[in-house]
Amino acid sequence: MLKLQAVQIIQNGEPLFHPLSIDIKAGEIASIMGTSGCGKSTLLSAISGNLADVFSLEGDIQLNDQSVLPLPMEKRRIGILFQDDLLFPHMSIAENLAFALPQALPKSERQEKIVEALKQAGLPGFEKRDPGTLSGGQRARVSLLRSLLAEPRALLLDEPFSKLDQELKDQIRTFVFDTVRRMNIPALLVSHDIRDCPEGQVINLANQEGQDVR
Amino acid sequence: MRIRLTLPNRLSLFPIVTSTCFLSAILIGLFSTWTQAFGYMPSIGSNHFSLEPWTRLFTHPGFVNSLKATLVSGIGATLLSLSITFLLFAVSYQTRFWRILDQTLAPLLAIPHAAFAIGFMFLVSPSGWIMRLFSPGVTGFDIPPDWNITGDAWGISLMLVLVLKEVPFLVLMSLGGLGRLDVRGSLAVGRSLGYHRVLVWVKIILPQLYPRIRLSLFAILAYSLSVVDIAQIIGPTVPPTLAVQVFRWFNDPDLVSRLLGASGATLILLLVVIAIAILYLLELIVQCFLKRQVTSGNRHFCVLFPNLLSKLFIIAMVGISLTAITVLLIWSFTWRWRFPDLFPGSWSLRFWSKGLMQVQDPIWNTVKTGITASLLGVFLVIGCLENELRLKRAGIHTNTPTMLWLTYLPLLIPQIAFLFGVQVTLAAFRLDGHWPSLVWSHLLFVIPYVFLSLGPIYRSYDQRMTDVALTLCGSPWRVFYRIKLLILLKPILFAFAIGFSVSVAQYLPTLFMGAGRFDTITTEAVNLASGSDRRIVAVYALCQLLTPLLIFLSALLIPRFVFRNRREMQG
Repeated sequence: MLKLQAVQIIQNGEPLFHPLSIDIKAGEIASIMGTSGCGKSTLLSAISGNLADVFSLEGDIQLNDQSVLPLPMEKRRIGILFQDDLLFPHMSIAENLAFALPQALPKSERQEKIVEALKQAGLPGFEKRDPGTLSGGQRARVSLLRSLLAEPRALLLDEPFSKLDQELKDQIRTFVFDTVRRMNIPALLVSHDIRDCPEGQVINLANQEGQDVR
Repeated sequence: MRIRLTLPNRLSLFPIVTSTCFLSAILIGLFSTWTQAFGYMPSIGSNHFSLEPWTRLFTHPGFVNSLKATLVSGIGATLLSLSITFLLFAVSYQTRFWRILDQTLAPLLAIPHAAFAIGFMFLVSPSGWIMRLFSPGVTGFDIPPDWNITGDAWGISLMLVLVLKEVPFLVLMSLGGLGRLDVRGSLAVGRSLGYHRVLVWVKIILPQLYPRIRLSLFAILAYSLSVVDIAQIIGPTVPPTLAVQVFRWFNDPDLVSRLLGASGATLILLLVVIAIAILYLLELIVQCFLKRQVTSGNRHFCVLFPNLLSKLFIIAMVGISLTAITVLLIWSFTWRWRFPDLFPGSWSLRFWSKGLMQVQDPIWNTVKTGITASLLGVFLVIGCLENELRLKRAGIHTNTPTMLWLTYLPLLIPQIAFLFGVQVTLAAFRLDGHWPSLVWSHLLFVIPYVFLSLGPIYRSYDQRMTDVALTLCGSPWRVFYRIKLLILLKPILFAFAIGFSVSVAQYLPTLFMGAGRFDTITTEAVNLASGSDRRIVAVYALCQLLTPLLIFLSALLIPRFVFRNRREMQG
């Protein structure tokens, strides 16, 4: 369970939004809405541990009943999916995915996991491919696979569909949401577009009333 | 039918003129040096090919030690500079500590090599400032010890000076190379996958950065293996590095020594080629190793040691540079300074007044040559860039990797391996020792740096500005100099200043092409450095340092003044 308790982000003594509290259960995808510049991406970087120096954080963020605030980004095990897929351009698809896998796995199993993950994502046999030759939708799927292969305890989605065109968007949305639910981890999505948000809790960061839009 | 060259077509002449300017010198120089290396030099009555210069070279007493010092200082400096640069980026990039480096980078780069080497010598020599700091208290010395610190047989001090000068250059080139990489994104992704920041640098970012700075690294390698001026100041003496030894042979009154010099110069070129090949091989091996590391998922890492090392190096680099200049300043105002006193016993302005009288001619030569060469350089480079733009608009693919190699060519071939050949050829036509030849030889090294400094910014100019202006005024020429040149005034002046400082620093071209007829502040400072009065040497070194510095300052201040009421032009 991912828990935000009265979280506020302060810049130059001014809070960016009202104190925010939300509980997200495993397998649930909550959404935060807001216009651009309202601080929603900053909130995600605070949760992931990548908050820039100019901001400070108040309140508490807990994952499975433990505060993650004392941990550096790399120890939090919180995955993020950005607008850009950020695949490493100099590595093959398999290498991109292998980078994410935990070291504990033996070599044969690593290979197996990659093959299996690509197959499930509808990208069988893509191991040796150069990321540069993939379409936007294929890249987005690989990017999600990469976040998930690191076995994160929670997943953050930072407007992950905003750069995809409408047809692709629906397809990727379904893929992402299904995959997250199957992984059974809490996920938090931010977007400025209500159509991106899945069913479930939606919080508008501007007025911050929990609302059920559907 | 008469063919008239229109303005855009005339542009196509620029790359031709520019590359001819390079290639002619390099080809003539290499060819002439190579023929001499095999014993063919009709002007001294040797007109048959033989291997004799080579056998004499290899059996020359001290050859092995020369080679040893050359390889240690040259290859050591290159590998150390690369490792330190990578360490700095991996550990300190965009941390609070990085700001120190960020702000001192330009001034560090602006210090000429020779002046820096002289300052460094005054710092670490047995009677230098560091020894004075610990004497007699810690060391117990009342007179300077008889140690070979500067001029050590392995070329370690030379290597250190090279590293301290090359790291800022490599950092600058890396900053340019990082421009197109998404560093923030890679760091965020890598860290969210559980990797420490430094590990993300090592496994993901540095492997992408290396190909972008590879050519700069090769240039550093070629320079470090063949440097003459600072090796004369701080390199080993008996025997000196190979490059210095070759330089001495070239200047030997006994003309047969020149054949020996030519074979030595060719050997240096060979060393550079082999070293570059080895670096390529190393790259492949490291790539292979890294690939396994990257896909292994290993996230273990200890940050303490590299962190400390990186901070130490930044402090050392900035600190040593500052103290080296300070000690130059102190010496220049000294009247009496006994060992082991920490400061001079009495001060005087006498050496400044004496020095300034002596440096007038050299400084005039330096400024005249520097300004002409860098003006010509900026003119040619802008012409080439405009031509590139014209071709791009016409949809013609300009082969950029080839262009880049061509730009770097004069920096990849050791000066000593071809300049003497050029001189011999020029002398055959009685063209050496003329000022235009001198300017030409400086231009050879000014153009690459002007290109490297101006190119990226010039290419990123918003072409729509020109398009809008054209619809308003219609005269391409007027639009070019009233809109584009003025908008780009700052980078153009900066590139000019870079070109000027490169010209000021030239030692071998000035001596070889000038046939000894033109003294610049650099040739004078280097020649005085070993064995002359420290106080006068300090004055010369400071003059060598101040000349480009003044030009840099004006390059910064002129645009600021011209656009003082234009906020968007400040940045």
